[in-house]
Amino acid sequence: MSEEPRFFNRELSWLAFNQRVLDEANDAEIPILERLKFLAITASNLDEFFMVRVGGLQIQQRKAPDKRDPSGMTAAEQLAAVSERTHEMAQEQYRIFAEEIEPQLEAADVRRLAAESYSQRHLNALETLFDQEIFAIYSPQAVADKNDFPQLTNQSLNICVQLAGESDDSEEEPTPRFAIIPLGREAQRIITLHSDGGYAYTLLEDVVELFVARFFAGIEVQQSATFRISRNADIAVDDESADFLQGMEEILGARKQTACVRLEISSKVGATMLQFLQEVLEVNDEDVFKSPGPVDLAAFMQMTDLPGFDQLKYEPWPPLPSPEVDPAASMFEVISRKDVLLVHPYESFEPVVRLIEEAADDPDVLAIKQTLYRTSKQSPIIAALKRAAERGKHVTAILELKARFDEARNIEWAKDLEQADVQVIYGVRGLKTHAKICIIIRREPHGIQRYLHVGTGNYNESTARLYGDISYMTCNEELGGDATNFFNAITGYSQPQDYRKLEAAPAGLRDRVLDMIETETLRKRQGQKAHIAAKINSLADPKIINALYEASQAGVSVKLNIRGICCLRPGVPGLSENIEVINIIDRFLEHARIFYFFHGGDERVFISSADWMPRNLDRRVELLIPIEDTPSRHRLVDVLDVHFRDNVKARQLQPDGTYARFDVGKRKLVRSQESLYDQTKRAVNQEEQYRRTIFQPHRPESTTIDES
Amino acid sequence: MSSAQPTNTISSKPVAVIDIGSTSIRMAIAEINNMGVVRTLETLSQAVSLGRDTFTTGRIQRATIEDVVRTLRSYRQIIAQYQIENQENIRVIGTSAIREAGNRLAFLDRIYSATGFDVDAIDEAEENRVTYLGIQPLLQESKLSNGNVLVMEVGGGNTDLLVVRKGNVAFSHSYRLGSLRIRKTLEAFRTPVAKSRHIMEGKIQRTIEQVREQVPDHGPIELIGLGGDMRFAAMQIIPDWNPLSLGQVPRVELEALTNQMLELPEDEIVQRYHLSYPEAETVGPALLAYVLMARAFDLVNVLVTNTNIRDGLLKEMAISEAWSEDFHKQIVRSAVGLAERYDVDVKHAKRVANLSQELFEKLQNEHQLPARYGIILHVAGLLHEIGLFVNSRSHHKHAMYIIKNSEIFGFGKKQLLLTALVARYHRRSSPLPKHDDYADLNREERIAVAKLAAMLRVAIALSDSRSARIQEVKCKWENDIMVIYVPNVDDLSIEQFALQQSGTLFEETFGTQVLLRPHRAT
Repeated sequence: MSEEPRFFNRELSWLAFNQRVLDEANDAEIPILERLKFLAITASNLDEFFMVRVGGLQIQQRKAPDKRDPSGMTAAEQLAAVSERTHEMAQEQYRIFAEEIEPQLEAADVRRLAAESYSQRHLNALETLFDQEIFAIYSPQAVADKNDFPQLTNQSLNICVQLAGESDDSEEEPTPRFAIIPLGREAQRIITLHSDGGYAYTLLEDVVELFVARFFAGIEVQQSATFRISRNADIAVDDESADFLQGMEEILGARKQTACVRLEISSKVGATMLQFLQEVLEVNDEDVFKSPGPVDLAAFMQMTDLPGFDQLKYEPWPPLPSPEVDPAASMFEVISRKDVLLVHPYESFEPVVRLIEEAADDPDVLAIKQTLYRTSKQSPIIAALKRAAERGKHVTAILELKARFDEARNIEWAKDLEQADVQVIYGVRGLKTHAKICIIIRREPHGIQRYLHVGTGNYNESTARLYGDISYMTCNEELGGDATNFFNAITGYSQPQDYRKLEAAPAGLRDRVLDMIETETLRKRQGQKAHIAAKINSLADPKIINALYEASQAGVSVKLNIRGICCLRPGVPGLSENIEVINIIDRFLEHARIFYFFHGGDERVFISSADWMPRNLDRRVELLIPIEDTPSRHRLVDVLDVHFRDNVKARQLQPDGTYARFDVGKRKLVRSQESLYDQTKRAVNQEEQYRRTIFQPHRPESTTIDES
Repeated sequence: MSSAQPTNTISSKPVAVIDIGSTSIRMAIAEINNMGVVRTLETLSQAVSLGRDTFTTGRIQRATIEDVVRTLRSYRQIIAQYQIENQENIRVIGTSAIREAGNRLAFLDRIYSATGFDVDAIDEAEENRVTYLGIQPLLQESKLSNGNVLVMEVGGGNTDLLVVRKGNVAFSHSYRLGSLRIRKTLEAFRTPVAKSRHIMEGKIQRTIEQVREQVPDHGPIELIGLGGDMRFAAMQIIPDWNPLSLGQVPRVELEALTNQMLELPEDEIVQRYHLSYPEAETVGPALLAYVLMARAFDLVNVLVTNTNIRDGLLKEMAISEAWSEDFHKQIVRSAVGLAERYDVDVKHAKRVANLSQELFEKLQNEHQLPARYGIILHVAGLLHEIGLFVNSRSHHKHAMYIIKNSEIFGFGKKQLLLTALVARYHRRSSPLPKHDDYADLNREERIAVAKLAAMLRVAIALSDSRSARIQEVKCKWENDIMVIYVPNVDDLSIEQFALQQSGTLFEETFGTQVLLRPHRAT
């Protein structure tokens, strides 16, 4: 066996994931606006990576320079490798943008105009825009030295202007002065221009730079350049602080001042200006990224929705109404008849929203308990919770204030919900509440009934149109009891009770998974058939990886579908030759976590909010839900299976850490997301046909008395 | 008669039971339907160091009291979610840590004023009785019903022991052996770890000697361990144990776990096993007691069940809610047994009881009492003459205390008291506010007692011939008078006279006179 480490490095594995997304942007088979979207995603992914991971590594480099990660690398080694990869990646992003995407967009009559190609008509319009709006809003701030450098907002665009220094009659060239014009995060970056056909636009910074001299009457503008900084966001809130909400707000303030981990700047920047910025921002050479195109490619995300250019996009696959859910019946009725499993985004999230809305309005509902991690801007779920509380129901919301980058929004929600008399709990001390669960307690003629929604995705009806997730709704007695106990535990009403069915992190989730893996290993050793399959976003937990290695060595076949980070090294003889790792990047973001264990033929299937990472298993509140309802279980096995048959969008992780596409040969092409959508469509059609064969007369409102 | 029969449809009510123990306060929210079926909805627990306070300093510390208040207030919120408002549906008990605290009354008052919970600090006998109610179904359904079963629960202050022989409690006792008391001894001696084990074993052995004397050495013996410590051990040793079933913990493995618990520092136990600090302090000594007990009887396994005192409390509430046919019979059987022990004329007593039952059914519209009061009337009918055993003078008063202090299977304290009162008022004085136990009842119960006693008096009058000639009646309103028609009997003079003698309780209670008339077929 080679001396290769047993684990891949986590950061490099993540960068490999981002590379796979970038490969999609480079794929000529994909419609051009979709390619632009993939490109924008890689850019915004990198933004987060720099803020969270690079910041963290830099701190580690200072505090624990000798500490090695499971792959054997120190922080400095990781930073060096990351720097190299990210610079390459940035170059490729701009190459794809300049050589592939922009030419093809132009060919489709979507043109970005730079200053030199403005028509007179454009110039007139833009001048008006500058004079009436830009000039009034933006104000340059002159900078003499580091100490009066303005507080720049993280990841928002700025223009640095180099002005001629005041001549003091000496022989020497006067030292130039600098001014900064922050463009702010709210600015409309893309400005639509008049066009006789197709679509033409320009970028805000181009307009500002064109007229920039008007800000500095009488002073010579020597140069201007657009730039943007990324700050370290890896600072933890002090969980022990007396007022957690206030503590969180302070953190958000503090984040504005943390160290700058990356400077992106237009490549046209001159040496003097760059030196000045590096000095005041305290940025090393390796943290400077020169952009040969527009700074902040993530901003092009909004372009990808461009109306009127549908031929440049994927054909729409709108979420379909699940045939499991009778639209004419209340959700309580639907769930009490049988368990409902939804596979999003193929199937609509609407039944979940409807469940919570109906709960808010139902006079027999006593209480609603719900976790919220990330939710949408105009969340109908939050509106329903408020309404329920206003109607006197006991509503408890665990709102995770520590949901990174959504903190500000969640703080607003928290205040809003509290006003409506919702009992808001700001997560659990020291842990992030990542579990997705909603419990509705309803009084019914035969007694109290608990309705449950558990999922792998957030309570966000917008992202539920784009993310591959699972929703499971049930009124199963044991799960209901467990869920209630789980809620009592995380809200501090009770110490954790023993669960009958589910398992929760941080207490027992990893142990349960390890236990399930080890059972397969044991069975295999005893000559039984054994099989493990899992679909997760990330695999980085050394304990679980080691257990999987052991399973492989015992001969258990292990199939993993891991979208993002995978620190497990598959296919190495003597270590992991029975483990296959694939991943799928396609139009929907793969987000569901599904675990499967053969278990001697008595198959066990789980859904979970948790990835197999130390972060999820040790520092987050997560749930593992066994799916025992037979049709639902079969459905999940099928979903897993379809993905493993993918040979169009799937790639296979190689022992050396690279990812390879499948050689299709003569086999039938399988694109899993398409298969799943088609399956759903067929099921919906079937159900419609079936409904059409049953006549449903419209009856006046029923006035029959309860049978007694 | 075709009146509405609300008991035919299943309805249920949520209830809450809270048990304030030595190391934790636990609550169960459950639902009891009118068939007496209990369905647990939520279980909660919070660690408290009540036992530590009581068993080491003799008093509950201020800070601990406030911990208890905080926990109970948060439990109140959960109770409110289920809209459990009637105090009848909330039962809060406290066990030895409260019972033995010097400042028990101050504690109870503080809890009452801060949380509105009326904590019932129950005694050992009551604790054992309630525990037995909880595990009784288990003893009946399993093969355990044949032999001798030791049911043991090691608490912080006491060890409760039940010896069950063929399903009946043969012996029950509460020993002053508790995990916290053991720890206290150790702390007092400031012993090194190696030696402390020796001291613990000695202390436990002394109790085991006492237990041995109570257990016959013939026939098979099983040991069932109750309580959180034993449940914890079962979870560790048998990972796939279904807590609803009886688990079998091999003694050898229990010993190994116990040794580990006694060696590990508390922090480590909390970290590794996710126990609370109060639990971590006591788990070792408690498990040691089970191990030594198993060893004393040379048992290979210790049985374990998830059943606990809250199950008993719920069972008790369920019993008062409804009695299944079978349960009904067992109650009657138990009451008859009691009557026989006190030389009651059982034949006559049964006639009175049956007639009472008949009247209870026929006068449903008038008394409007739930069905569970019917069984109280029935039992009161069986036992109304029990006081004759003591003395014929004031025998109704003797009946009162005999019944109140006896055990009738399936009856809780409250039902016994109600039965005792109904029997007491079967003759002489009507219920009066100055009568102690009667005055302590709430209004609903006071009214029920009066109505039941009034009907009992009529039933006694109808049986005054001491023959079985009257077995059924018809009740009818005639000109605002309740007329009871007795079929197939021509002459009712004896009964008429007896009814007149029986006083005015019926009229006081139902607001009408009652007349007896023979009913002839027309």
